[in-house]
Amino acid sequence: MIRHECLELLAGKMTDQLVVTSQSGQRIEWSHLSQHEGNLLVGMMGCAVGVGIGLALALPHRKVIVLDSDGSVLLSLFNLATLGNLRPKNLIIYVFDNGVYSGSRISYPTATAGNTDLEAVARGAGIKNARTIRDIETFKGEGLGALKQNELAFFVCKVEESLMHREIPRPNTDLAENKYTFVRYLERTEGKAIPFIGRG
Amino acid sequence: MKDELAKRLVQGLKDAGINFVTYLPETRLSQIVPLIQNDPEMELIAAASEQEAVAIAAGATLGGKQAAVYMENTGIYVSSYSLLTIGKQLGVPILLVVGYLGGVPDQRNSFLYSTIGTHTIPTLEALGIEHMLLNDGDKLEINISDAVRAANAQRAPFALLFAGEFSV
Repeated sequence: MIRHECLELLAGKMTDQLVVTSQSGQRIEWSHLSQHEGNLLVGMMGCAVGVGIGLALALPHRKVIVLDSDGSVLLSLFNLATLGNLRPKNLIIYVFDNGVYSGSRISYPTATAGNTDLEAVARGAGIKNARTIRDIETFKGEGLGALKQNELAFFVCKVEESLMHREIPRPNTDLAENKYTFVRYLERTEGKAIPFIGRG
Repeated sequence: MKDELAKRLVQGLKDAGINFVTYLPETRLSQIVPLIQNDPEMELIAAASEQEAVAIAAGATLGGKQAAVYMENTGIYVSSYSLLTIGKQLGVPILLVVGYLGGVPDQRNSFLYSTIGTHTIPTLEALGIEHMLLNDGDKLEINISDAVRAANAQRAPFALLFAGEFSV
């Protein structure tokens, strides 16, 4: 299974969901596949799940999707324990697990290429609906099916290492621009002001 | 900290608009936790690490909450990565309510805490995070309100360091 084909399928299902990505190949691929204003392309590893939890709690009626990597999840494993206790029903996390630190350009293995099983870690942390997806048909079924469910879902999507993100132009929207586009989209769709913006 | 001071601190947070608090408990200010938990107008979220406490607070802020993180000052070191990348680089206001252990005004300072305290303010300064040191309840509510306004204006975290009477 290739990450890009999963993201392509997911992009076709987007309506008013909010999507948070961490800094890795899926950020570049997702920004190429989807220019939706509800995308928040977080520019660092290990923070997307936390930001996604905060958004899901602040907006319990909106579906929040986090696109993450094995390297990022391993960097912030404490997120799983918090998720396993909060269990926000409107949050879906797709971890594209290629077993390598692909962005490093030397593609050295992550712990998931060895003995670490992120689904087992997630289950042990209290995330009941944790699944490993190994083929595109299961992604189409179980993976995308979660968009219609009202339950926290944590999918470890086992993908081959793909270097497609190196061939795709990186997003030219800077972090602040992306943040304000995202916040203005929320203001418009939620019909209320986001308090910190204020007036100058 | 006297119960009355804890109540004023929480009421000050509420009056300043804070309605979402992530936290890891510590010793100096821990009386505020049940007060926040029992307040129907405030949401209290337990985190497993200050790094995610900051990230969750940032997500909630972008989603329309006015968020604070309650932590020990050791949490500044733990969360420095997310404070810098989410707080400063992305530009998200978050009020940091910090139990300031090991600083000169910490009434329970000892060899156990002093190293932690000595490096706290230099670390905040290195991160470019403004701070205010509060040693007593004088103008407490005004100081909290000023800190939230500054955080929003700067689109950045702002730290309130609590010591002195708050550390008794």
